[in-house]
Amino acid sequence: MTKAVVLRAAGGPENFSWEDWDPGAPGPGNVRVRQTFAGLNYVDTYLRSGQYPLAKLPAVLGREGAGVVETVGDGVTGLNLGDRVAYSSHLGSYAEVNVVPADRLVPLPDDISDEAAAAMMLKGMTAQYLVRQTKALGPGNTLLYHAAAGGVGLIACQWAKHLGATVIGTVGSAEKAAQAEAHGCDQVIRYDKEDFLEHVMALTDGRGVDYVCDAVGVTTIEKSMKALAHHGTLASFGAAAGPVAPETWGKLPPERYLVKTTLPGYTKTREQLLACAEDLFAVVRSGAVRIEINQRYPLKEAAQAHTDLEARKTTGSTIFVI
Amino acid sequence: MTKAVRIHAYGGPEALVYEDVDVPAPGPGEVRLNQTVAGVNFLDIYHRAGTHFANLTPPAIPGVEAVGIVESVGEGVTHLKGGDKAAYPLTAGGYAETRLVPGSDVVKVPDGIDDKVLAATFMKGLTVGHMLNDLTTFRPGDFILWHAAAGGVGMIGCEWAKHLGLNVIGTVSTEDKAERARAAGCDHPIVYTKESFADRVNEITGGDLCQAVFDGVGADTWLDSLKCVKPYGVCAAFGLASGPLPPMGFAEIPSEAFVTRASVAAVTKTRPVYEKNAAAFFEILKKGVLTPRIEHELPLKDAAEAHRRLESRQTTGSLILIP
Repeated sequence: MTKAVVLRAAGGPENFSWEDWDPGAPGPGNVRVRQTFAGLNYVDTYLRSGQYPLAKLPAVLGREGAGVVETVGDGVTGLNLGDRVAYSSHLGSYAEVNVVPADRLVPLPDDISDEAAAAMMLKGMTAQYLVRQTKALGPGNTLLYHAAAGGVGLIACQWAKHLGATVIGTVGSAEKAAQAEAHGCDQVIRYDKEDFLEHVMALTDGRGVDYVCDAVGVTTIEKSMKALAHHGTLASFGAAAGPVAPETWGKLPPERYLVKTTLPGYTKTREQLLACAEDLFAVVRSGAVRIEINQRYPLKEAAQAHTDLEARKTTGSTIFVI
Repeated sequence: MTKAVRIHAYGGPEALVYEDVDVPAPGPGEVRLNQTVAGVNFLDIYHRAGTHFANLTPPAIPGVEAVGIVESVGEGVTHLKGGDKAAYPLTAGGYAETRLVPGSDVVKVPDGIDDKVLAATFMKGLTVGHMLNDLTTFRPGDFILWHAAAGGVGMIGCEWAKHLGLNVIGTVSTEDKAERARAAGCDHPIVYTKESFADRVNEITGGDLCQAVFDGVGADTWLDSLKCVKPYGVCAAFGLASGPLPPMGFAEIPSEAFVTRASVAAVTKTRPVYEKNAAAFFEILKKGVLTPRIEHELPLKDAAEAHRRLESRQTTGSLILIP
């Protein structure tokens, strides 16, 4: 019997239990993946706590994983036993084995390790759409990135810098500031010590920034809107600090854009998924973006990993070793 | 001495007083304009009555758009000279024979454009052009949704969108207005008082939804408007003056679509954007894309009567004053 981190009821990290769990044989179009590593993401905490309700319980969380093909279901072509694969958007990665639709699996090139894949499939592809699709950043653009030392943040800020943008990052500690500076940020703002809006306006001569990436939510969003330059865009892709009130969204100033983004929205078709992953692999291969795995936990210590993530103790990517 | 229509206190149409005014020589940055036509907008009624978004303090001259001939320009004005035809879409002081206007508010009008048509449509046309040209990119055949499609802005929106090869869905309140919208190029008028426009948009587009939704209505329609835009498209509120967008929950914000509040005032504030949009609108006028809809033409001294007609809500087309 294989094992997994099972959530029996929504709540705190203590609700996780390390149990026997077998997802069974793959049905038509599906693949059973023997996992080597899984990634930790902030969205996992929303599902665990119930902020985003799960369709059914008990459940195995985690959307990001890497491993090898163990068995394939009927009708699956192009994938064979032993192939190295990774995925970013199918629930159940906190497990030794997961069953994933074949069309959601990305074959891994030889020069992308399993652990790097587990650390970047969700976070790196999120960074990809943020800096290359939602807004195609380039020279002359100014980006304000909140939580710049986080998992998506370190990747997105390096990538934005590589594309020629000026990058301003916000962080909540001196250690995170050092990380952000070493990963693409031209300017780092300590939001715990100073007003980020005032600082951004000073840095941009009162013009504001072209683009804000905000997955923090309730504590930042209103000032993020005010930090936008004329025709600037605010991408909202999470709410780590809590949900935003409906009236607050209405405060978007004239001639600014608000866009709520999700990775599934940018990877609806297999072509979109593969193009997004390929773009990520290419920028990592070039050395312009480094995937920083700053925390590794044994899978059965998922509760500790969630506790540390929510206490803002982590930086960069966190992976589970399976 | 020249004549103008002025308010000395907020009030009804009778507050509009036709009287002599003194117009000095233009100061630095100013233009002295001999006006040929002044447009009348609902905004003028708010200004006169001191309600809603009034930002006009008596004594003052209402009217925000007009066309005329430049008489002289002040120091520093280089884009206009005496004898040029010029127009502005959004500067109070329009109900006048002659006026001073900031040069930055005025653009030169090329040959081949009718003064009356321009005075009746400039603000509406800039609004429509900004929304169709600046907020998103279209491919021919894309669906758009235009609310109040039989209104002044809506009909220009339908005509211009049709000219761009778009599939136009519009909302209207009655069957009569549906016919008017259809005549302006609206492919799919929806009588929103009879059926849910969000459901109908879903049906008409086969579930694909719209590349752009233009909502000048506001609180009643906004949440359903958000349901009508597709990923990478834009849902734009406009004309809500300076007020905030209606509240919306995170779940109600459509994924991967851009939500915005478009402002024609922002267009005229940025000179290159203003000139680009004005030029685009002049081209549309020259090509005859729009059907002129001047319904009432009155002498300037009858501004009060013009307001009465507009307030009666009997008008469907534009109303202009001739100084």
